[in-house]
Amino acid sequence: MVTALGFDEEAVWSALMRGETGIRAVTAFDVSQLPCRVAAQVDDAELEDAVSALGRLPGDRATDMALVAAARALHQAGLATAQARAGAATILGTGMGPAHTFFEAYESYYDKGPRGLRPTTVPRAMYNALSAQVSMVFGLTGPNYVLVSACASATNALGDAFRRIRDGHLEVALCGGAESFLNPLFFAVWNRLGVLSKGADPERACRPFDQARDGTVVGEGAAVLVLEELGRARERGARVRGEILGYGESSDAGHLTRPSVDGQSIALRGALAEAEVEPADLDYVNAHGTATRWNDTAECASLRQVMGPAADRVPVGSTKSYFGHTLGASGAIETALTLVALERGMAPANRCLEDPDPECAVRLVGAAAEPIGGSLAMKNSFGFGGGNAVLIVHRSES
Amino acid sequence: MRREEILERMKGVMEEAATEPIDWSKVDESSSLEGLGFDSLAILDVLYGVEQEFELEVDAEEVTDVETLGELLTALEERIEP
Repeated sequence: MVTALGFDEEAVWSALMRGETGIRAVTAFDVSQLPCRVAAQVDDAELEDAVSALGRLPGDRATDMALVAAARALHQAGLATAQARAGAATILGTGMGPAHTFFEAYESYYDKGPRGLRPTTVPRAMYNALSAQVSMVFGLTGPNYVLVSACASATNALGDAFRRIRDGHLEVALCGGAESFLNPLFFAVWNRLGVLSKGADPERACRPFDQARDGTVVGEGAAVLVLEELGRARERGARVRGEILGYGESSDAGHLTRPSVDGQSIALRGALAEAEVEPADLDYVNAHGTATRWNDTAECASLRQVMGPAADRVPVGSTKSYFGHTLGASGAIETALTLVALERGMAPANRCLEDPDPECAVRLVGAAAEPIGGSLAMKNSFGFGGGNAVLIVHRSES
Repeated sequence: MRREEILERMKGVMEEAATEPIDWSKVDESSSLEGLGFDSLAILDVLYGVEQEFELEVDAEEVTDVETLGELLTALEERIEP
């Protein structure tokens, strides 16, 4: 993974357990005219070093993040040879795509006109550059494509890969998401939407489920997971971290940005049904939990509607206060962390949750990390555009 | 402009257009551009960089015969005002 809290799983997990956030003041460009001045930014030097370790020069930042996350996933999964990678699919989610390449093109065009445009802007800026570059660099000869459904993108990517493997169309897939758009234009458009926190203190700006929350905080990052047919993974002695048991998806078919409890509930129920899991069997819910009023109250109402009395018992936490809202990458970062949380038996705290919103009437993880009692978790992602994606994951016994 | 100076400035242009680092200690004027990692697509970015760096207009069709670094430098020498 590539996050504002680092790239190394152990370091990221330690930071989570210490309650540290990756959200900082934005200093890379002038934000003095903007209401939100904080974001979760990936360290430039760490990213440059990681790209260099791949024998490459920096390119589009979102693409670079996808490459770095993919390299780490392949290494950890033990897919080291061309033979092992043959036929592997590359399915990545993103919300804003190669946003830095777009911004550079806008700047060049308005500065110098058409002649100022880099001739390779199209292959750099097409959204599927993310998956195409990963497939090319690592020799993955299965299908490669990018899935775009705003903040649900990566979870949709994982769900699609899960089903394609289960149904026998694929044996192995690299899937996840990448997002990097923190430049003057795209940070400003997010500010203009009015959903970002105006809190000046980076430590406390993003507070999912808290009564005093005033919006989300955006972030950049990437995570890639290797999904593989279980028998094949075991046969080759891979370290199996967990299983996806079910996937639910739906559309609100209502409003572009306002979530729908009924729409979300369809996805929640679908995931539970496919996994053949009862709500009471869940041990942890990693929520979408953006810290906007609309999201948090709708999500908690959806969980309550679907889980019934189990919503009083199963701990619900959001990790966006650590990584910011990484949009199309969030589902992958958070699914990976959910699996780590199950492995380690600890749910990260809901940072800065001091005064839970009474409208968020579910059993929330508190402001300190707490033990998880079992091996089953739910991961929710809900996107602008009304797309909902939910996974049920299980800690591997091996 | 002297050829050495063009080469120095071209190193920056080519590094900007490359996806992999270039080991200049192994590069001479006979080095092929394709061998340096600049295929027909990447060479477009090299020409773009030339335009930005030297304030020239160079179309890809004008340099279709250029295969080596030396040939590229010669083509540029002819276009750059002394």
